Amino acid sequence: MAALRHISRKLFYNFKPESKLKSETCAICIRLLNYSAIEYDEKHDPAPVFFNKDIQSLLKTLTRVDLAKVNRRRKLGTKKLEDPEYKFMTDEQLHQAIEKAKKNTEELLQIPPVVALRKPTSRVLSKDPALQGLEKSRMVFTDITFGVKDIERLIVVREPDGTLQEVDWEMRNRINQTYFPSTDRYIKPPKMFFGEYFESLLNRKEYEFVLDRACTQFEPNDPTYQRVVSITYQHVNDNDGFEILRSTRHFGALTFFLVWHKSIDNLMSELIETAHIEEADKLLELFTKVHGISFEGSQELDRIEDYIKKVSSKKAVLELGVQAYKDLAKRREELDTGIETAHGLR
Amino acid sequence: MAVQLLNITKTFQKLTVSARCNLVPIIVNPLKEELYNNNVITYSSTRNTNFFNKLPAKDLWKGITSVSNAGKKRGRGKNTSKSKIKDLNRGQVIGIGKANIVWPGLSAPIIRGKELVRQEQLPEDPEREKKLIQLRDKMGTFKHQKLSPIERGWSGSKMPGRSIGPPDPVGEETFEGFDTKVLELKTVFNMKGNFGRKRRLSVLVVTGNGNGLGGFAMGKALEAKIALRKAKNRSGQKLMHVKLFKNHTVCHDFFTQFAKTKIYVSQKPEGYGLVCHRAIKTICEVVGIKDLYAKIEGSTNVNNIIKAFFLGLTRQKLPEEMAEEKKLHLVQFCKESNNFPNVIASPKECRTAEDIPNDEILDFKQYCFEGKVVLNKKKRPPFYAGYKSYELYLQKQEKLRNQSKVKENLIAEYGQIKSFLADKYPECVQYKPERKNKEEADN
Repeated sequence: MAALRHISRKLFYNFKPESKLKSETCAICIRLLNYSAIEYDEKHDPAPVFFNKDIQSLLKTLTRVDLAKVNRRRKLGTKKLEDPEYKFMTDEQLHQAIEKAKKNTEELLQIPPVVALRKPTSRVLSKDPALQGLEKSRMVFTDITFGVKDIERLIVVREPDGTLQEVDWEMRNRINQTYFPSTDRYIKPPKMFFGEYFESLLNRKEYEFVLDRACTQFEPNDPTYQRVVSITYQHVNDNDGFEILRSTRHFGALTFFLVWHKSIDNLMSELIETAHIEEADKLLELFTKVHGISFEGSQELDRIEDYIKKVSSKKAVLELGVQAYKDLAKRREELDTGIETAHGLR
Repeated sequence: MAVQLLNITKTFQKLTVSARCNLVPIIVNPLKEELYNNNVITYSSTRNTNFFNKLPAKDLWKGITSVSNAGKKRGRGKNTSKSKIKDLNRGQVIGIGKANIVWPGLSAPIIRGKELVRQEQLPEDPEREKKLIQLRDKMGTFKHQKLSPIERGWSGSKMPGRSIGPPDPVGEETFEGFDTKVLELKTVFNMKGNFGRKRRLSVLVVTGNGNGLGGFAMGKALEAKIALRKAKNRSGQKLMHVKLFKNHTVCHDFFTQFAKTKIYVSQKPEGYGLVCHRAIKTICEVVGIKDLYAKIEGSTNVNNIIKAFFLGLTRQKLPEEMAEEKKLHLVQFCKESNNFPNVIASPKECRTAEDIPNDEILDFKQYCFEGKVVLNKKKRPPFYAGYKSYELYLQKQEKLRNQSKVKENLIAEYGQIKSFLADKYPECVQYKPERKNKEEADN
C-alpha cells in the first residue's frame, strides 16, 4: 500500500510540470486519496427525493442541532474580537430574542442542495464561414442586464472559424464572476481542492472548512463540487468524523449521500454506540423512503436488527454494537428498579 | 661637582653594560682623577620614611577621593567618588615581581624531583606589567549588569515595573504563585530637629497571585534593598479579592476615583490585551487581568492610581449580583457568535415590562458608569490631510491599492509573480537576478 502511495506520489510530481489539463491532476489526486469521485448522475436525479419535505425534516432531525455549537464564537477575519453588547432583559424580551436567533440559526443550517450533474451545453446559434479568419481569438458577448439570473444570462462566443455558440459551463462561470463578482469566489478554483493540498486538509479533518468553501466557490451541479464533496464525505465516513460535521449545514447532505449510496453502516454503528437509538431509527426511516426497502419490527431495536440482517455489509460490528446497547439498557433498568425499591416506591 | 655626579648617575641609568661597548675607561678615569686630586669624601643621606610610606593606602586614597564636610558644603570635590579607589595589591603575589627571580621556598618548591631548586633569574616577563595595568584600569569603572529583556522594568534597569518575587513566607504560610512588582521607587526627605534633612527611599509595590488576589503596600528604608523587602512583605499582608470575568477581564465597565485621579475602565474580549497606563498594566498583570482598557483623567500620581484602581476592582459586582439587583436577565450579544443571546446571569424572580418604571436606567453602559458618560474625543485628522500634495499622493496610490493582494494571488497560483501570458511570452515574468547554483559553486 505504502509502495503504491509512493509510486503514485512520484508519478504526481513527475506529471506536475507538464500536466496542463485539470482532469489529469484530478485523476492522480484521487488515486492518492484512494477515493474516487461519486457524482449524482442525470439518470437517477436525486433532487426530487432530496427536496421532499419529509426527507428534509428527517435530515434536519438527524443533524441534531446544538445551538451552542452553531453559534459558537468564530473569527470573522478581523484582527480583534469586537466588544460584546450587554442588555438587561425581561423574560418576554429574552424569549423573543431567542426565537429570533433560532430563526436565524435555521437559515444558517440550510442543507446545500443535492442535484444531478449539469448537462454540457454548447448550442450552436449560427455558422458564418464568411467570418472565418477575421479574428485570431474568440469573442465573448455577454448580456449584462441587471437582474437576470446567472444561469439564464445570455452569453455567447464567436469562434475564429465563424461559429456563434453558447458558452460552456466553465466559461459561463468565469464570465459571470468577471462581470458580477460574488465575494469569496475566485475565477480559478483555489488549489485547496486539488492534489496534495486537498489530501492534507482531509487528513487534518478540516471537513467543515472544505465543504463551506466548496459551497461558496462552486454551483451544486458542478462536477468539481461533486468530486470534492463526495471525496470529503467518504473520508468522513471512513474516519468516523461525524461528530465534526454534526449540527452544521453539511450533516444533512452527508447523511443523504450515505443513504443514497447505501453505505450507512458506519453512521449506524456510531449512533448505536452513542446510544442514539431514536436517531438510528430515523435513519432507517430515511433509508426506507429513499430506497423503498422496509424493515419489520414493532420496536426500534427490532427494526435495526432487521436492517442488519437484510442490508448491512458490516454485520458483525453492528451486532456487537446492538448487543452492547442492550446490556447497557438492561443495566440501566436494573439500576432504576434498584433505586425505586430503595426509595420504597416498589 | 654635584652636577657632575648627577650626570654620571644619569648615564648609568641610560646605559646597559655590555661586553661589546667598552665604557669603563670613559667613566672611571675622570672620576679617579678628581677623587684622587681633591681627596673629598662625599656622602648622600637617604631617608626611608616619606609621605608615601608613612600612611596606609587607605588614607592615601581617602586624601584624593574625598572632600571634607566643610568643603562639600562649599561645593568642592564634585568630581571625586569612592569608586575611583584602586587596590594596587590586586594581582600581585609575594615572591613574584618585576625581576623574574625564582625563590625556592617562596615562589617555587625547594626540591623538584630529585634536584634542589636554585635561586636564579629568569628573563623578564613583558606580559606581567601589561596585565597589571589592565587589571588596574578595570578597577573603578564599574559596569551595571545588563538585564535580560524579560527582567526589565518600564525603563532600562530602573526598579519600577520590575518583578521582585513573592513575599517572604510567614511561619509555615508560603506565598506560592505570587509575584510582586515595583510601581515606584523614590527618595524622600524628612526634616529632623538635630540631623536636618534625613534621606530615605520609599518603595511602592503590588503583589498578587495572577488569579484574583492582590495587594499593595509602601515601604521606606535607608537602603533600597531593605525598602523593597519591607514593602513586599507588607503587601503580602494586605491582600484582597478581585472578581474576574471568565478569568480574563473585569466583570463590567466601571468608573472609579481617588483624589484627582479618575479612571474609566472597560471590559474587553479575549486577545485585546492591556491598553492602559503602565501602572494599571502592572497591577493587572499581577492580579490576573489579561484584557482591559482604562483611561485616566486627571492626575497620574502612581499612589492615587493604585488606590483608585483597587477601589474600583473591589467594588465590582458579579453578573449574578447585577441581575439580582435589577431583577432582570443579563444577556450578552456577540457579533462573532451571530448575536445569539447568551444569558450571563438570571435573577430568582424576573420583573415584567410593566414593573419597570419609565425613568429607570436600562442601558448597561450607563448603569455601569452610574450615569457618567465617557468623553470620547473625535480623532483629529493629521495636519497634512488638507494639503494638495496629500490629495495628489492619495490619487497616485489609488492604483496600487490591490497590488499586494494580486502579488499574493499570483504567488499562490504560479509560485512566482508572472503574467498569465508568460507561457507564450517568457519575458512576462518578474525580473530576478540569477543566483549561482550550488553545483556550479562547488565545481
